[in-house]
Amino acid sequence: MGALTQLLRRRKFPYRIVSVLSVFVGVYWFLQLPTNEHSRGTYMSENALMPGQVHTYFGGTESMIFRAYHHEVEALENATSTRRVEMLGKIMKDNGLEVGRQKYTYEASGEVYKGENVYSILQAPRGDATEAIVLCAGWRNAEGELNKAGVALTLSLGRYLKRWSLWSKDIIFLITEDSRAGPQAWVDAYHDMQSTSVEPLPVKSGVIQGAVAIDYPHKNFRAYHLMYDGINGQLPNLDLINSLIKIADNQMHVDVKLQEMWDHTDSYKDRLRTMARGMVNQALGHSSGAHSSFIPYHIDAITIQMTGENGWYNEVTIGRTLESICRSLNNLLEHFHQSFFFYLLMHPHRFVSIGTYLPSAMLIAINFTITAIGLWLESGQPKDKKEKDKNPKPEITESEKAALDTSVESSNKTTEIATPSNDEPLIVERQLLLPVTIVVAIHALGFLPLYLFNNLDKAALTPVFYAFTVFSSLLPPVISLALRPLAPTAQTFTLIKSFSLLLLGLFLSTLATINFSLSFVIGLLSVPFTFTRFLKAGIFERILFWGVIQVLSPMMALELVAKYWGLPVGDILMEAAFGWKVWGMWTQVVVFGVWWPAWIAAQVGVWSPLSGVQRD
Amino acid sequence: MNRECALIITLAVAVRLVLFFAFPSLPEVLVNRVEISTPVTSFKRLQEGLFLYRHGISPYDGGVFHQAPLLLAFFTTLQSSDIAFKLVYIAADVLSALSLIQIANSGVAASSALYTSTRKDMQWPSWRVAAVFLLNPFTVATCISRSTIVFTNTVVLLAISKAVGKKPAAASMALAMASYLSLYPALIVPPTLLLSYDCLPSNKKPASISKFLAVQTITYLGALGGLMGLSFLITDGSWEFLRSTYGVHLLLPDLTPNVGLWWYFFIEMFDSFREFFLCTFQLHLLIYVGGVTIRLRRQPLFAIITLLGITATFKSYPSIGDMSVYFGLLSLYRHIFPLMRYTFFTISTLLYASLLGPAFYYLWIYAGSGNANFFYAITLVWSLANTLLIVDTLFALLRDEWETERPEMKGKFVVQI
Repeated sequence: MGALTQLLRRRKFPYRIVSVLSVFVGVYWFLQLPTNEHSRGTYMSENALMPGQVHTYFGGTESMIFRAYHHEVEALENATSTRRVEMLGKIMKDNGLEVGRQKYTYEASGEVYKGENVYSILQAPRGDATEAIVLCAGWRNAEGELNKAGVALTLSLGRYLKRWSLWSKDIIFLITEDSRAGPQAWVDAYHDMQSTSVEPLPVKSGVIQGAVAIDYPHKNFRAYHLMYDGINGQLPNLDLINSLIKIADNQMHVDVKLQEMWDHTDSYKDRLRTMARGMVNQALGHSSGAHSSFIPYHIDAITIQMTGENGWYNEVTIGRTLESICRSLNNLLEHFHQSFFFYLLMHPHRFVSIGTYLPSAMLIAINFTITAIGLWLESGQPKDKKEKDKNPKPEITESEKAALDTSVESSNKTTEIATPSNDEPLIVERQLLLPVTIVVAIHALGFLPLYLFNNLDKAALTPVFYAFTVFSSLLPPVISLALRPLAPTAQTFTLIKSFSLLLLGLFLSTLATINFSLSFVIGLLSVPFTFTRFLKAGIFERILFWGVIQVLSPMMALELVAKYWGLPVGDILMEAAFGWKVWGMWTQVVVFGVWWPAWIAAQVGVWSPLSGVQRD
Repeated sequence: MNRECALIITLAVAVRLVLFFAFPSLPEVLVNRVEISTPVTSFKRLQEGLFLYRHGISPYDGGVFHQAPLLLAFFTTLQSSDIAFKLVYIAADVLSALSLIQIANSGVAASSALYTSTRKDMQWPSWRVAAVFLLNPFTVATCISRSTIVFTNTVVLLAISKAVGKKPAAASMALAMASYLSLYPALIVPPTLLLSYDCLPSNKKPASISKFLAVQTITYLGALGGLMGLSFLITDGSWEFLRSTYGVHLLLPDLTPNVGLWWYFFIEMFDSFREFFLCTFQLHLLIYVGGVTIRLRRQPLFAIITLLGITATFKSYPSIGDMSVYFGLLSLYRHIFPLMRYTFFTISTLLYASLLGPAFYYLWIYAGSGNANFFYAITLVWSLANTLLIVDTLFALLRDEWETERPEMKGKFVVQI
């Protein structure tokens, strides 16, 4: 504490420099991640998995059966949901599996999402129904396309795998209505956590150890596209991903793509792009495929998507891949735990783990905390003291320096000495009530958009969004004007900024441990909040700050996301509301509870002259 | 009680009512939070105990229920009305606030028989003290979770307010109740008795302090004995409850995580060392009592507060509810805040710990991507922040005493070597 005491005593904490440095080091650190020196090659941690070390037998005969099922699926394309589920259930039942069905209804933004899932359980000949593996195919994939081959393959695997006597874990074949709500309804009900609008499951098996979703609309393909982002940016264990990549590479000789990087040359640029795309997905925290819903339940899950039309691979390849991965999962002795849960993949064979990448987000989050501490010290600085500081004079005598390190209450055996010092008060009394009230009120106000956007009807979303954007831009000047009768001082605004940055730093560093990408993205976009010099700024500087902050607002970010996906803003908000209601997505809580209040507080600083505050 | 106090209390009751009845799932979420409900205060376990008690099975037979028998008797009279339960908890918080207001109004914190601070004009009015206690999120969360630490806090505050209010016998009895409910308040007996003595008007003061203390100690022990006897009768003439309540506080059989430092330590420990470290940990709490009481003889109220802070940090099953009463009482000492050195640092650390705690618990228990060390690390940070706060306020208080003694030294740096 000695060092801290000294800092507090001297009140010459160069926080701006430290802040700038931490941002630069943070960003530089991040940009260094894709290099060979800082990333690592992937490797299998859990040896029990033994990926790709079994001979696979899914072959010619199964291919014929697959084609038969493919015809059946095509015939059901326009059938009603009940008829479809009946037929699929009948096929599964004929293959000797136990079949269950489940209906569900969800409502979000005034839209109703209804459907029915059907699934069957292969009881393990060598197990006791305590563990299970899930093979899942949505009737429609995440893009809403009919998952013809995927469903047919799941059916034929049900028939094929049933013949083997080596399973020690049950295998569940799940065909959901879609790839968004269906898997969530099923996995919620599997753990008895379903909402009232979702039916419970008639048959269950044991603890699910892993899940593989199949997104396979067309028979022939060129490569696998592996999707692994879970809801709220949670990821499956890296071993599962490694197993699949190993099987695809060594056994099947199929390319694996990540994050829609179809031509990956393993250059620095491509690695960075893969990583960045992964981070965008993680930051948004939405479901990217049928597997995403499994991950919050601590089930490691991935989606394999077959990409490239008219490719040279067909159902035999993917059938054998799935057979092989089921064999690997079957080998698991305990839940996935060996490998990493926090990683960024930049290439199918390269990754960085949390220990390497976390400092970059933490440094950015810490920059806010450092500025908050600096501003706090500044707010307690007496005015005349500031002027004296400009004329350098010896601040602390050597004896004081040495003595400061000793704590006062450590013992009672000694004499007390008092060294004469400046006669002025140590610290100016801080008026905390007003700044604390304002910062807390702004944060509380964040619940308003959160509630509105999660509960409004579809049609109202877009107009309310623009109205809210205008409201957010007008709120800071209004707050500053409203402060005028209270005669705020420069200290009030310094403290508002200090507390708001303290909270931002606090939330972001906490968030960095749960969802690194979201914390990093919000942290980067909030960096200007640290550097706005609102009290001493001239009019042009002020306009510049206002413009920069205005451009980096949460609302602009939403527009950008809409651009990125090529969708109107209303659809993004609908997706968010759907995520909140169905998936339990938390992204909007962070945006409106953390980011938006910090943004408003920064703008209040820029508009501070409206309150009649004295400039220094 | 003035208008502001009434307003704050109304507001606090409104907040609690809204949280209880407008968000029906919130109490169920909070009751499962390890930071709020410990094995010795959890509402879930109380319900289990009540169920067994109503069906004529001894609740202390199994290893689930560790709370005082009188709580069972009390809640049984309420039938199983959920609303009545909730109102009782709100009432307990209001009662705590009323006690705090009484303590604040008496002004004992800054000027008493033995000591008057030169900064006494800086004290907060009582409504602010009440607001700090009632609107503190920790207090609110503890109330909503219906953890039984709420009652302990109420009785502790009641004891202090009785001591301040010149009713030493009532104070001793309230203290007996507090010790009966959760054992550790027994540690604040010496300073509370001294506070009772100091607050008596000079014409009523017994000539000999030792005689006064002896009488009050006997009152305390008598009341405690009475409560034990009552419990003995309630539980059908069995002393089984002693082992399941105080035995649990002392021997730590339940290692459910909490914000304290014990659970992890005793999970990791080899069994042969268990007894030794149990003794060490318990004695560690005990050793502060003498020192703090003697050093702060002129301000026994602060000795009580410091001891409450120390127990809230180092006791066997602490929760944030313990800290909430410490914060509430600390706000009586507003006048020493400017003398504190690490206010910002301590508060930031507390905030960080309060946010990272749930986050790391989530990573450990739900996401499965972290492990027990994550949460334990944060409980260490939490305890560090508490310790810093205790040490810093203690420094500020001593500095204030010293400045009162030697006014010429005001605002100057002082170092003890």
